Amino acid sequence: MLFIHGDSGVDIASLAKKSRSLLKKAEDLKILEKIYIDLLGKNGEINLLLKNLGKLPKSQRKESGKVLNQLKNDLEGLFQSRQEQLKEIFFSEELKKESIDITLPGRLNESGTLHPVTSTIFEISSFFTSIGFEIASGPEAETDFYNFESLNIPNDHPAKDMHDTFYLANDSLLRTHTSPVQVRTMEKQKPPIRMICPGRVYRKDSGLTRTPMFHMIEGLVIEENASFSVLKGLLLDFIADFFGKDVDIRFRPSYFPFTEPSAEVDIKWKRGWLEILGCGMVHPNVLEMSGINSKNHSGFAFGLGLERMAMLKYDIPDLRAFFENDLRFLKQF
Amino acid sequence: MQFSRNWLKEFINLKISTEELCEQLTMLGLEVDSYRHYQSKLTGEDAIIKLDLTPNRGDCFCIMGIARELAALNGKKIKLPKIKTIKSSLKSPLKVYVSDEAPRYVGRYISQLDLKKKTPPLVKERLKISNIKTIDPIVDITNYVLIELGQPLHAFDSNKLQGDLRVRFAKDKEKITLIDESKIELDQDCLVIADEKKSVALAGIMGGLDTAISKETESIYLESAFFKPEVIRGRPRKFALQTEASTRFERGVDFELQTLAVKRASSLIFEVLGGEFSPIQEFKKSSSFPQNEDIHLYVENVNKTLGLDFSKFFISKLLRSLGLIISVSTDKDFITAKIPSWRFDLKVEVDLIEEIARLVGYNKLPQEPLRTKKRNTFDSLNQSVRSCFTSRGYNEVITYSFIEESAASLVEPKIEKLVFVSNPISQNMVVMRPSLLPGLLNTLSYNQNQGIDQVKIFEIGSTFQKTSKNKVKEVELIGGLISGSEGKNNWTGSKRSLDFFDLKGDVEKVLGNSSGYVFKKAELPYLHPGKTAFLFKGKSQIGYIGSLNPKLVDKLDLKHEVNFFEIQIEKISLKGKVKFKNFSRFPLTQRDLSFILDQGISSSEVKSLISSKAGGNLKEVKLFDIYEGKGIPQGKKSLTFSLSWQAADRTLTDKETDDLVKEIVKFLSKKFNAKLRA
Repeated sequence: MLFIHGDSGVDIASLAKKSRSLLKKAEDLKILEKIYIDLLGKNGEINLLLKNLGKLPKSQRKESGKVLNQLKNDLEGLFQSRQEQLKEIFFSEELKKESIDITLPGRLNESGTLHPVTSTIFEISSFFTSIGFEIASGPEAETDFYNFESLNIPNDHPAKDMHDTFYLANDSLLRTHTSPVQVRTMEKQKPPIRMICPGRVYRKDSGLTRTPMFHMIEGLVIEENASFSVLKGLLLDFIADFFGKDVDIRFRPSYFPFTEPSAEVDIKWKRGWLEILGCGMVHPNVLEMSGINSKNHSGFAFGLGLERMAMLKYDIPDLRAFFENDLRFLKQF
Repeated sequence: MQFSRNWLKEFINLKISTEELCEQLTMLGLEVDSYRHYQSKLTGEDAIIKLDLTPNRGDCFCIMGIARELAALNGKKIKLPKIKTIKSSLKSPLKVYVSDEAPRYVGRYISQLDLKKKTPPLVKERLKISNIKTIDPIVDITNYVLIELGQPLHAFDSNKLQGDLRVRFAKDKEKITLIDESKIELDQDCLVIADEKKSVALAGIMGGLDTAISKETESIYLESAFFKPEVIRGRPRKFALQTEASTRFERGVDFELQTLAVKRASSLIFEVLGGEFSPIQEFKKSSSFPQNEDIHLYVENVNKTLGLDFSKFFISKLLRSLGLIISVSTDKDFITAKIPSWRFDLKVEVDLIEEIARLVGYNKLPQEPLRTKKRNTFDSLNQSVRSCFTSRGYNEVITYSFIEESAASLVEPKIEKLVFVSNPISQNMVVMRPSLLPGLLNTLSYNQNQGIDQVKIFEIGSTFQKTSKNKVKEVELIGGLISGSEGKNNWTGSKRSLDFFDLKGDVEKVLGNSSGYVFKKAELPYLHPGKTAFLFKGKSQIGYIGSLNPKLVDKLDLKHEVNFFEIQIEKISLKGKVKFKNFSRFPLTQRDLSFILDQGISSSEVKSLISSKAGGNLKEVKLFDIYEGKGIPQGKKSLTFSLSWQAADRTLTDKETDDLVKEIVKFLSKKFNAKLRA
């Protein structure tokens, strides 16, 4: 069949053949796109022919239009399927190139760590606060009254030798325990009292097992029925909670000027007994000095060194590591 | 206190192993520090036991005292050593005048001694076990009795004494040379033994050199005195003279023991050195003896405290085994206890409750749970501030509160504001830190030297300052420091150095969105003059942030720039209760505005002016670009802000927004001569 294109005739069958072959052979998406524009674009060959239909004699117009439109649809279909094919090829090749070394480490926004002493304070505090203890704190630069006298430790008493004290230039001292916080609490608050006080303390001592600064947590309970048996029960629960397992525990008599009876608590560790905690019933002199009537109230107190607890829990051999602040140490917790 | 077990056996012979014996002692409160077996050439199989005694138990600083405790626990009686009665054949040449502070002084004059004799091997062996040097037979015997009975004795060379002895307080600045050849100057607080000319001994602590016995000595005056603990306490420490005698007198020596001790010593002296003896002289002032008041012990209190159900008869039996004299009457709910002369630690009822607990055994006492109560929080431990920093990659450190003076004066050059430690343990720990910076810098430097490149650390702790009234002011701060390459921990990361804005972002994060905080440019001598800001909350300065002065970075040999902040932790108000706020579902309108301004104008000023003119529907103003250089005139900079508006109840019209933008541009151009950049 002949078409008039301008003055020359067009062989529609060969156009169809040529176009099909071009579309099928297009090598990549870009070439395909160009072929598409040349053939099927606004000014492509097919559209131009369609536009020129009017120039044909009426008798041919209808027939030719039908044929051309059919070809157009046909080629559109061919284009789409070729495009699908080429995309498939493109992605499979392209994604191969984007392959990564999945063994490389992930992009890390490393979190920091809490100091093991802080973690230990949090852990112990969470046990005690869960049963109604409040947390209190007080100054580290203390007076002789709060650190010693109010705790039934008179001047020159040999018991004072148990505390090698740092003195500050002007009559104050660095607290040797957190017990002053207990006294300050008793002065402020009427019983019942359940409190713990974690904090830094200082003793003039240094070596493998001692540093001139360390941390303690002390606790105080003043309420009806606060007896030695309850103290024992509480500490047994606490120790089991802290170590997360049953450990052998023993209570043995000891001496602190501020408690009577006084006890030391040891746990079975490796081959022997290890002292971890001191405790006792608050001495009536201490209650009275803090304005609590010892006839009507009784209470108990306990105190422990936090570094020692952390050493046991995390198996840290050297106390000094706590204040060396080596990041290779700190990042382990 | 260290001693031979065989010596103890002479007082109480328990048929138990040394291990069991030590267990018993520890559980009585006489803690065994260690023990080891010992093969004695004189007494055969023996053990050396070392006790760690608490200061309340002065009565246990001797074999007899330890035996007494074991006897009470095991329901036995102690045996006293055999003492030979010695006939007196001489008259003592002297008298002793006692005082309120030394209400009993027992003495004996012994003459014609043969000091060429040697100390018996058993005495030598046992003193050696107890870590006491052997000197001569007289001194060795007095020390033997000291360890055995707990009574310190002293022997004067009586030929060197002039006249009678008197116990008195020293005169101010009185001097004495002691047996260890130390010369000390006394004051009116020190008790001495004096003859008619001068002091011959520091009472209860050490004898004087001039009247000490020597190889030529042939007569002695043996002293066995009771000095009250309160006149001895503190003095050994003052003169750095802790002796076997002072340790016991400070803690309390049995005031009925003196005669027995002289008898025991005399018997041993006679056995070893022969000699002629005067009668035992006892000088006393009975009215000044320690008055141990009788204690009422309520049975109910014992049972309530210890969770027991003991009868008053059983309680009485336990206390009697310790030597207390108990009276019980059937119609009273308490018993009355008379305290033995050797127990200085039994003063009030609870002291007796402890005695009962000890004899029952702490581990045999019952236990009961503490009743639960409402759960509490532990917000006061700054948990959220800490986790804010750890989640942003900071490691928490704890540094010493005392630092070097040079480090302290770096941040506090006014020496009168520093709080010094009077008795520091080392030169690195002489002054209480006025800031957390020195400790953190120290940590940075330490870690850099360990080859760690990126350091992000923080610490929470007290800092100290002396006030004008000479008081110590303690403030709890949080301080943090960053230094090193930003992306050091990632293989993809950038290699730029951590800077001021990295730190500021973290600080802003912990401060939260609350608008009460303002940073204002400032200067501090140890920080970079152009990179320092004070942090204000309302009108008060609560902290600061800045880059460490590069001169210091250089001086301290640090590898990277260092940025540091410090804030009073109690001024950081954390999120209160969370409450939901509704948000608009209408579209957001956005405009980006770039202004060309003078370089000196701060972005926060511009931002707050924009906010003030942007109308009530303004949602956010965000600075997203700063540019200087090509296209911008010298001395100027371009700031680009992104503004967004949103109404709660409708869609905003373009015209509304455009009008606001015009208003802002006009205002900024008036205020700052700002030009809108095309």
